Formats: sequence, structure tokens, C-alpha cells
Amino acid sequence: MTPNLNSAVLPPSLPLRFILTGVICLALGAVCLVARPDLLVEYHYNQHIIALTHLVVLGGIASIVMGAMYQLVPVALETKLFSQRLPKWHFHAHVIGFIGMVWMFWIWDMKQVGHFGSFVALGFGLFIVNLFRTLRRVPHWNVIATAVASSLVWLFLTMSAGLFLAAAKCWPISPFDPIAQLHAHAHLGILGVFVMLIVGVSYKLIPMFALSDIQNERRARWSVGLLNAGLAALVVTMLFGSAWKLAAALIIISGLALYGLEMRAMLRARKRVVLDWGVKSFVTAVAMLIPLSFLALVLCWPGLPLNEWTARLENLYGFLGIYGVVVFAIVGMLHKIIPFLVWHHTYSPHIGRRRIPALAEMYSSRVQLAAYGFYVAGLLLAGGAICAGHGALVRLGCALLAMSFALFAVNVAKILVHWFQPRLGEPIGMPKAGIPSPKPAYG
Amino acid sequence: MDETLLDTLRQVIDPELGINIVDMGLVYDIQREGSRVVVKMTLTTPGCPMHDSIAGGVEMALLGAEGVEEVRVELVNDPPWNPAMMSESARAQVGICW
Repeated sequence: MTPNLNSAVLPPSLPLRFILTGVICLALGAVCLVARPDLLVEYHYNQHIIALTHLVVLGGIASIVMGAMYQLVPVALETKLFSQRLPKWHFHAHVIGFIGMVWMFWIWDMKQVGHFGSFVALGFGLFIVNLFRTLRRVPHWNVIATAVASSLVWLFLTMSAGLFLAAAKCWPISPFDPIAQLHAHAHLGILGVFVMLIVGVSYKLIPMFALSDIQNERRARWSVGLLNAGLAALVVTMLFGSAWKLAAALIIISGLALYGLEMRAMLRARKRVVLDWGVKSFVTAVAMLIPLSFLALVLCWPGLPLNEWTARLENLYGFLGIYGVVVFAIVGMLHKIIPFLVWHHTYSPHIGRRRIPALAEMYSSRVQLAAYGFYVAGLLLAGGAICAGHGALVRLGCALLAMSFALFAVNVAKILVHWFQPRLGEPIGMPKAGIPSPKPAYG
Repeated sequence: MDETLLDTLRQVIDPELGINIVDMGLVYDIQREGSRVVVKMTLTTPGCPMHDSIAGGVEMALLGAEGVEEVRVELVNDPPWNPAMMSESARAQVGICW
């Protein structure tokens, strides 16, 4: 029998708070890029692009991912969240920390970046402890649990590397090249935390939403293992400026290739023929790993000169990694997660008693499709414009992305309306005396 | 299985697919002994995030049926659910090939 996890589920308001904070930051990030398209054309080692990247990655992506993990990791791994109190403290430390960090990066006060970064680190620490203690209770360890555990280790290293970078700006303590350190920090975060989670959750969510199964467990385990081994090697080779960086990249790409093969196999074996646009966005984002991998190979080729052209390719690489893969995948899955959280809060107590909407009836599929179209067009246009170093076209591409976020916000608003104004249909059958009143399903 | 109780459970909808749990093939067995009902059912995937809600909905719906005073819901993963367990109309509605 499946264990009763009532007490394991957080009230949806807390993960939703993280997620809505993240959505606001993603929208702000897109607006900033429309206002300052030059940031994607000039070399990325400058205070404003670093501030903007932290707004999008720390305020946007990390907030959404951590909120979703608090809710979904315990349920997906059939266990209980270790603490329901720690996420509340985490949220406050995270918000104070990332807002301060972004602001201090913008004015380039690295001492204060370190101070605000300590708040973020405190929040991450609470998150890591909570999730690791949760993972210790997992009854059946599997590839998903391995990917989640790996991402927590990489999150700790990303955070430590970030604090070290801030300290190295204040005191001469680092023997490494600052740009190499910055690149290592970015890869730890994007690849180690977010791509690792995308890979891991795919092995749960794609079977769940497409009605399929993992086709080859061994291949799935190898994909996570190679990603871990390759990233560890990549960080070391980056820091020491070694030509072996290419070999490390090839290990990572091998892991991603195995992941791609498993995704293709799971999708081919699916029973649900028509996928909704949330899953299609996620799959499109995963497909963006292909051009990203080619770009990575070019950029770590030994002896590649650093000139205007390679600087543009580096910008394109970062843009594709963040907006093409991670943000795109997250926006796709948010069309599943936000309706679920709101439905769980509003309608879960009424299931079996009243007629209630299905998840897909809480938002507009046409708006979702339009948002998908704008997003793909924006990515292609902005990506091409970054390559060409054309500021005006970068602005146009980012405006399309901002339009996509605006449409996404329309759907989020439609979903949130159900929180405040439930659309309950007529009662089912005649309720008898003595039936307990509806109460929330979470503890 | 008790057809009246099965009809009652047709009011409980899987919110992800929008199909009732009986036509989804999630209900394996219903036994009625006087005013006590025991339901053996599964979910589309182990660790389904909806499992508390759906199990609670089954309990609520059956407690609303005539003569039922006590309900026990047993969630099982064996045999695992597969789309062949769905009714033909449900498969057509969701767009499932089998």
C-alpha cells in the first residue's frame, strides 16, 4: 500500500510564494533586456550583465525550482519532507539575499555582495539540509533520487564558489584567473544544479504526463553519472586553464546524449499520443541542448583565440543555456505545477463532493500556444542577433520573449483566480448528515 | 463489483486527464459488507502528486452513497496501472493509442 503522505505535503501557499517570486524575476529580467539589449552584445564580464544574470538565475530560476522541489520531491520519491518550518525561514533569507545581491552587483559593491550573498547561502543551507534529510527517508533509491542528491551537492559547491569569488574581489586570496572562476561558478550552477534536475525530473515527469515508462534504467543511470563526472572534470580543467577541458566537455555531452536517447525512447513508447503544450515546451527546451552542446565544443577547443567573434559565441552560449534550456523547460513545467498547487488548495477538499474543473480547464491553451510561439521566435531572433552583434535585433528578440512572459502571466493570473474565486459546480448526489466538512488535504 | 457504488465513483475525476477514475481503470475492486465499503484502487503512476486528493475524493463520494457509513481506501501498486485498463471511450477522449 502507498504510504499516507498527508503530513508530508506543505500548504501550497509556500511553494507558490517561491514560484511567484521567480516568475516576477523572470519577467523583470526580460524587461531589462528590452531596455538594455547592449548587455547581450558586449563582453559578459561586466557588472550589469552579472547583476541581470543573478536576477534571472537566483531570483527567477532558483526560486521557482526550490519552491517546486519542496512540494514535489517528497511526493515523487514517496517520502516526507523533513521539516515544514525551514522553508519559511529559507524564503525570507533568499528574498533578502538575492535582491540585495542583484542591487550590489549593479553598483559593483563586492563587499556588500558578499554580505547579501551570505543570506542567500543561509537559505540554500536550510534548503540543502532539509532536502538531504528528506532523501535519507526515501524508501526506494532510484535515478531520480541520485539526480536530486547530485544537484544538492552542486548547489553547495556553486554557492561556495560564489562566496569565494566575492571574497576574492575584496582580498587577494585566489590563485585562479577571475574569468575562469566566473565560468566555473556559472557551469556549476546551470549544469550541475538546473540541467541535472531537468535530467532527473524528466525520468519522473515524462512517464507521468506522456503515460510512458523509463525504457532503459541503466542508460538513465549512466546519463546522470557521466554528467556528474564530466562536470567535476570541467570545473577543474577550467580553473587550471587545461586543454583537457575538451575531454571533460565530451564526457558531459555523452551524458546528455544518453539522456536524449532515453527521452526519445520514452516519448516513442508513450501511450498518450497528443502532448499538451507544457510538455512540448519542456521537450523543445531539452532539444535546445543539441545546439548548446555544439557551441560548447567550439568554445572549449584548445587554442581558440579570444576575439570579438568568440566573445559573441560565449554570450550566445550563456543566453541559450539560460533562456533556451533552463527557463524554457521551467516555463513548460510551470503550466503543470502552478495549476496543481492552486487546484490542490482550492478543489482537493471538494473532489467527490462537487463538480470541479480539471487542471487544463484552469488556464487557456490558446494563450499558452501563443506564448510558446513568441518564445521560440524570440529565442531564434535574439540568438541570431547576439551572433551578429546587432543590438536593435537583440532588443526585438527580447521583446518577443517579454511578450511570451506577459502571455504566461495572463495564464498564471487565470489560474490564481481559482485560489480566490473557486468555480465549484453543483453538488454530486445528496449529502447525508454526519459527513465531515471538507478540509485541506495538507497537514 | 457493486454497480451502484461504481456509478458513484464515476463522479470522481482525475484532474490531470479529466476522466473519471472508473473509466480510467483505477478502481480494482469494491467490496460492501453492510454499511462498510472497502475500495482497492491504484493511480496512474506510483508517487502521483494527486494521490491524497483522489483517495480523499473516493472516500467522500462513497460516504455520500445511500447506506454507506464507513469507507476504507486501499491504494495498491500491484498490478501497475496501464492504459489497457481504460474504457475505450476514455482512451479516445484522452488520445491514447493501445
